[in-house]
Amino acid sequence: MKNKADIVIIGAGMSGCSIAYNLAVRGAKNIVVLEKSFICSGSTGACGAGFRMQWGTEMNCRMSKFSTEFFEHANDILEYDGDIELRQSGYLMIADTEKELTQFRKNIEVQHACGIPSRMMSLEEAKELVPHLNTDILSGAAYCQKDGFLNPHKTTDAFYKAAKRLGVEFYTFTEVTGIKVEHGRIVGVETNKGYIETPIVVNAANAWSQGIAKMVGVELPLYSERHQILVTEPVEHMQDPMVMAFNLNLYVQQTPHGSFIMGRSDSGEPRDLRRTSSWHFLEEMAKTIDNVLPLIGKLRVIRQWAGLYNMSPDRQPIYDKVEGVEGFYVAVGFSGHGFMFGPVTGTVMSEMILGMEPTIDASRLKLSRFAEGNLFTEPSVV
Amino acid sequence: MRITQHPILTFERGKEINFTFNGQPMKGYEGETIAAALHAAGVKVLAKSLEKHRPRGFYCAIGNCASCQMVVDGEPNVRTCITLLREGMAVETQEGKGTIK
Repeated sequence: MKNKADIVIIGAGMSGCSIAYNLAVRGAKNIVVLEKSFICSGSTGACGAGFRMQWGTEMNCRMSKFSTEFFEHANDILEYDGDIELRQSGYLMIADTEKELTQFRKNIEVQHACGIPSRMMSLEEAKELVPHLNTDILSGAAYCQKDGFLNPHKTTDAFYKAAKRLGVEFYTFTEVTGIKVEHGRIVGVETNKGYIETPIVVNAANAWSQGIAKMVGVELPLYSERHQILVTEPVEHMQDPMVMAFNLNLYVQQTPHGSFIMGRSDSGEPRDLRRTSSWHFLEEMAKTIDNVLPLIGKLRVIRQWAGLYNMSPDRQPIYDKVEGVEGFYVAVGFSGHGFMFGPVTGTVMSEMILGMEPTIDASRLKLSRFAEGNLFTEPSVV
Repeated sequence: MRITQHPILTFERGKEINFTFNGQPMKGYEGETIAAALHAAGVKVLAKSLEKHRPRGFYCAIGNCASCQMVVDGEPNVRTCITLLREGMAVETQEGKGTIK
């Protein structure tokens, strides 16, 4: 293992790998990525594999459009020897209250101003698109064909391999045990495999980021929360888009293999680092799917798993350089959408670290917004 | 083939049951699984593998593998090794992963 680096990134999920690649492609050298387990072992590898541009704030619309356009060409840009398995088969957002429908209409105005090809969809058309949808309980829908899915493991692998080709060194099963600060500056990182001298540390540990920040005496206003997913037995293809509902509380997609992957949120989930599965989720998920997409309720469940959301007070990430600890950067608090924002995360963070002109505006996502009470609230998150 | 003599178990055959296999009339006995009745009638291929369409037959017999999944009365992916035969059942070979209706 190297004992000296220019930049050390902590965490090798989508965010860490994208930051590493983006730094290297902009000419940065001597980059090391530390991962306490294996690549994609955290939230990225457990996620629902979707990406969407249907957001309610201009900044999120612009950032997700940037990410989507990157994903569309990611195999070529990253010169990947595999396939990230991009499928733009759409997101169908469903509402069961007038209030939510009004929000969809407002969101679509913001989306259109950013050039996102979303639209309101009648329940008749939604039923044509997804025949097993129980439209009796719905008030309306919104749709964007350019939203869709990609394989989180392969997408992260594409960034990882591209970064590696550019000279980035990755150390897996290497846990950060301490960060050394002298006179208010980062000077090195202590790991279970040895010490690395470095002036810059990027905290991309998402669910584990609070612990990393504490090593330099910084309290991040975040908590980690368990979210669960299940997968069914496969059947022949019957559903193109992701079906997603905020109020009815679900998202469900059919994979190319034919299985359905579905998840929902629960305010009763533990707020720690537990990634165990619960019977409660299985029951609630089954009830939800029986209500919204009854036919899918006939399928047998193969397994379930859990991942961690790293929740921020306004459910938006923090992209910043931390005041008071020179050389400490954070890309944390993704609140459940860190995978789909990966290309933005890498771009914003690499330009911030290298002092370059930002290609995309993420200025509202500073850490100081919480202390100033200037929250950036996104209305459309699960 | 049906086992009639066994050193430990005794088999009391139930009443005769009529069902169809791919439209062909077949007979089995009450208390038997679909797969057991098919096996006794000489049907050895219950399903086809998904990618290469190779024959799949009676295998785990406890509902764990996917070797015996068939369409029964229109319902796909029925594990015929653990599903009991009923009068008038329509059992069909499944093509592909099954379509839920």
